[in-house]
Amino acid sequence: MTDSQSRHQSRSFQSQGFWADAWARFRRKPLAMAALVFVTLLAAVALLAPAIAGTKPVLCRYKGRIYAPCLGYFDRRLEPTIFAKDRFRGTYPRNLKEKDADSWAIWPLVFQDPHRAVRENEWPGRPANPAKDEGRPNGINLFGTDQYGVDVFAKMVHGTTIALLVGVVSMGLAGTIGIIVGALGGYFGGWVDMLTSRVTEIVMCVPTLVLILAVIAIVEKPTIWKTMAIIGATGWTGIARLTRGEFLRLRQSEFVTAARATGAGPVRIMLRHILPNALAPVLVPITFGIASAILTESSLSFLGFGPPPPAASWGSLLNDARSNLSMWWLVVFPGVAIFLTVLAYNLIGEGLQEVTDPRLREARK
Amino acid sequence: MATYLLRRLLLGMLTLVAITFIVYGLARNMPGTPLTVQMGESDPSRKLNPEDQERMKRIYGLDRPWHEGYLRWLGNVVRGDLGRSFSRKQPVTTLIGERIGPTFLVSGTALVLAWLLGVPLGLYASARSGMADERATSLLLYILYSFPTFVAALFLQIVFSVWLRGTAWELPLFGMSDLPADASWAARAADIARHAILPVTCQTYVSLAYDSRFIKANMEEAVRQDYIRTARAKGAGPGRVLFHHAFRNTLIPLVTLLGLSLPGLIGGSVIIEQIFTWPGMGRLFFESIRERDYPTIMGLTLMFSVLTLIGQLLADLLYCLVDPRVSVE
Repeated sequence: MTDSQSRHQSRSFQSQGFWADAWARFRRKPLAMAALVFVTLLAAVALLAPAIAGTKPVLCRYKGRIYAPCLGYFDRRLEPTIFAKDRFRGTYPRNLKEKDADSWAIWPLVFQDPHRAVRENEWPGRPANPAKDEGRPNGINLFGTDQYGVDVFAKMVHGTTIALLVGVVSMGLAGTIGIIVGALGGYFGGWVDMLTSRVTEIVMCVPTLVLILAVIAIVEKPTIWKTMAIIGATGWTGIARLTRGEFLRLRQSEFVTAARATGAGPVRIMLRHILPNALAPVLVPITFGIASAILTESSLSFLGFGPPPPAASWGSLLNDARSNLSMWWLVVFPGVAIFLTVLAYNLIGEGLQEVTDPRLREARK
Repeated sequence: MATYLLRRLLLGMLTLVAITFIVYGLARNMPGTPLTVQMGESDPSRKLNPEDQERMKRIYGLDRPWHEGYLRWLGNVVRGDLGRSFSRKQPVTTLIGERIGPTFLVSGTALVLAWLLGVPLGLYASARSGMADERATSLLLYILYSFPTFVAALFLQIVFSVWLRGTAWELPLFGMSDLPADASWAARAADIARHAILPVTCQTYVSLAYDSRFIKANMEEAVRQDYIRTARAKGAGPGRVLFHHAFRNTLIPLVTLLGLSLPGLIGGSVIIEQIFTWPGMGRLFFESIRERDYPTIMGLTLMFSVLTLIGQLLADLLYCLVDPRVSVE
C-alpha cells in the first residue's frame, strides 16, 4: 500500500466515524426519525403518484402490446400515442373494453384525476364528481372535491412532487451559492470578504417578495422550475454567513496550516480540508431552508403566483379555499399536509443540529 | 468608534443605492406599466388610446429608459421627495403615513403579547427542562412554530366567521371596520378591536413560539457556564440562579432580537394583511406591485431597507456595548 493510499484511507475512516456516530445518535431520536420516515413516505407518494390516484391505467394490454399510460402524468410526451390515435380522449375504462375486448388494465388505487372532474359513468356505475360546495369528503372523493368537481385527494397526491422538489431543488441551489460565497469570503478575507459580505447584505435586505414577484413577472413563461430557481437564488444568505464563519474559524486551525505546508492550493484546501469539517453546521440551515422554501412556495401559490395550471401545488388549493370558505376540506387537508411537511423538515434539522453540534452533545451527557 | 460609525454609514448608503437600483430595475422590467395594468384590467373601454398613453408616459417619465428614471428618483429622494403614487394620486409619504397606523396596531400588539407570554414560557421551559410537562409544552410550541400563518389564518376564519356565524363568538372575516366614519369614537374602537383579534392572533403565535424557543436555547447555554455553578455553590436558590444569574446574562441576544424585529414592526406581514384585507403596509406593498406603482414600490423598499440596516447596526453596536470581548475595530 502506498503512502498516499493509506493517508486517504485513514481520512475517509475518520470522516465516516463522525457521520456514523451522528447517524447512531440521530436514530435514537424518535421525533427526528419519525420525521425522516414521513419525508421518505412523501417521496414514495411523489414517485408513485400516478399509481395512487389517476384515471390512466398503471399498466394495460391493448391490441397485443403492453403500455403504461400513467406515465403521462409525469410528462405528456410519455403517454403512448396509440391512445390519442384511437381517440381515447383521456377516458380509458370504457374505450379499452370497446376497442379491444381482450384488453386488461391495472388501475390506480383511487380512480380520480388531478386535472379534471370525473364524469358520470366514466368508471362503470359511478356518478359524476359533485361540483360547487357539495363535494364533502366521502368514500369516492376521500378529501372531497373543489368547486369544479376535481378530486382534492388526487390533486394533493400529484402536488406532493412539487412540494418535495421545491424544497430540494431550491435549497440545493441556495446551498451551492451560499457555500461558495461564504467559503470565498471566509477563506480569503480582506477585500474578497468585504465584497462577498456586502453582496450578501444587499440580497438579505432586498425584500424577498418583491424580488420573487418581480422575477416571476419578468420571466416569459412562469414554470415551477423557475419559481424554485428564484427561491434558491434569494435564499442563500444565511448559509453564506454561516459558511463564512466556519471558514474564518477553520482557516486558522492546524490542519489547514499543515495542508498548506504540504503545498496544497487554496481550492484544494477549501474543498478537501475545510469544507468536510464545516459541512455539518452548514447542513442544519439547509434543512431548515427546505422547510422555509416549501413555505415560500405555498404562500406564493396561496397569493395566486403559483405554478400555471394544470399543475397544482398544495398552496394553490388553499388559494381556491379562500373564496370558498364554507368548503372546509379545501383548507384542512392541504393545510395539514403543508404543516406536516414543514414540521418534518424542521424536526430533521433540529435532530441534525443536536447530533452534530458538539456543544449540544456535551449537554446531553 | 466614530470612524467605525462613519464607515458603517457610508457602507449603508452604498448598500441602499445597490438595493434600490436592483429593485427599480426589476420593477420597471415587469411586463405592463401602471397605465396599462390599472385601466385595462378593470374595464377594457377605459383603455387609453395610444396617443394619450404616450402623453401620460411622458408626464410620468416612463418614456425614458429605466436607469434614467432611477437617477431621477434617486435625485428626488436626496431632496426628500419620494414622489407621488401613480394609481392613488397621492404623495407616497402620505400613503405610508396612512398605512403605518393599522400595521403598527397589529404588529405592535402582537409583539407585546408575544414577549409578555414568551418570556415566562421560555423561563418555565428552562426551569423544568427535561420534565414531562416541559417536553409537552416545548413540543406544542414547536408545532405552533411550524404551523404556517396562512393556514392558521384560514382555519381561524373558518371557525370564527363561518362555523360560529350568528353566535356571540362570531368575528369579522376581513377589513378593519364596518362602521361609518360618523359613528361614535368608542364604538369605532370596539369595532376595530374586534376586527383586529384574528390578525393579531395569527401574528402573535408565530413570534411567541419563536421567542420562547429562543429564550430557552439561550438559557440552556447560560446555565452551563461556570458562574452558574459558582452561584449554586455559594447557596443561591434555584429561582435566584434562574432569574438573577442566568436570565440576566441572556438579555443581550434578546435585545438584539428585539432590534431585528424593527422592520417587521413597521413593515407588517404581507400574507396576514392580504388574507384579512387589513389596510396596512404589507398590503400596500402587495397592491403596489400588482398595480406597477413604481413610486410606492420604491418608497416602501427604501423604508424597509433603511429599517433593516438600522436594525443590523443597532444589533452590532449593542453587542459591542454589552460584550467587551467584541470590538468594533
